[in-house]
Amino acid sequence: MSETRETRLFMISPRSTLTPDQLARMVHAYGAEALVKETCYGCLVEGPRELVLSIRDRVREGYPNEVFTKIRAYPSSDPRRCRAMHGTRPGYAQLEMEWELLARVQHGLDEVAKGARYVPPEEKKRIPVNDFKRICEVRR
Amino acid sequence: MKVFIDPPNSLVLFDLVERFGHEPLSTMAAIQERVDNIEVDMPPMNVTLDDVVKGLKYAGVEVPSGVRGRLALWGPLIDEADAAIIMDDCPYSFGCVGCERSNLMVKYLIKRRGIPALRVTYPENDEQAVNFVAQTKEFLEGLQ
Repeated sequence: MSETRETRLFMISPRSTLTPDQLARMVHAYGAEALVKETCYGCLVEGPRELVLSIRDRVREGYPNEVFTKIRAYPSSDPRRCRAMHGTRPGYAQLEMEWELLARVQHGLDEVAKGARYVPPEEKKRIPVNDFKRICEVRR
Repeated sequence: MKVFIDPPNSLVLFDLVERFGHEPLSTMAAIQERVDNIEVDMPPMNVTLDDVVKGLKYAGVEVPSGVRGRLALWGPLIDEADAAIIMDDCPYSFGCVGCERSNLMVKYLIKRRGIPALRVTYPENDEQAVNFVAQTKEFLEGLQ
C-alpha cells in the first residue's frame, strides 16, 4: 500500500441524519492539509497516509457507526474517473449496492455495541415423508 | 494481521476489517500501486506483460485471459494474507461482476492455502445483519 498518497472514500449510511455537506465541512474544520471533495454519498479525502488515517479516526470518534470508509485506487478528480471530465465510473454500481447494505450494517454495529452476540441460524432439516405427503394431499 | 476480503472491492468488509484492528487486503490497494507506480493507461483494464505472467501462477494457460488478469491482481494478495473473509450469496451486482469463474477460483485458492477463513452470508434483513457483524467481529478478534 502506498505511503505517500491515500485517497479515502467516506460513505454515509442511509440511516444516518448526517449529510455529505455536514461531513465535508466537519473534515474541513479539522484544519488538516488534506484535499476534501464533497460527493453525493459522503466525501473523498486525499493526502499523506498518516494524515488521512488521523482524519478517519476523528470521523469515527464523532460518528462511529454511521460513516464507513475504504481506500480508492485513483486519486480524487482523476480525469479517468471524474464525472466532470467525462471519465468512466465502473465502481459506482458497487457503491450503490453497498449503500443499500449500510443501513443494515449500521443497525448490526449498534446492536453489537449493546452486547448482541452471534446466534447460529437453525439448520434446515429434511421434511419427513409423511408430512410431505400430507402437504401434497392438501394441495391436490 | 492481513485479512483478504472477498468480494475484494467491498466497502463493508474493508471497513469492518479495519474497524476491528486488522489490515484489509483489497483490489483498491493493488490497483493503486499500478496507478501510482506503473505508467499504465487505465488499470485494471490495461495490464502489463508482468501481470500476465503473474496470472499464470494461479491459472493455467488454457484459462480465459480475463480470469488470469483478475488473478494477477488477487493472487498475490491471497498469498500475502493471514486470514480471509468471504461473503456468500451476494446479489448479482455486488462485488466484482463479470466472471463467476474468477470468484470461484479465488475461493479455491483461499481454501488451498489453508488460512483461517470466515464465510458469511449477505445479510438480507436487520436480524441477519446483527449476526453478520457479530460473527465477523468474533472472527477478527479471535485472530492473533
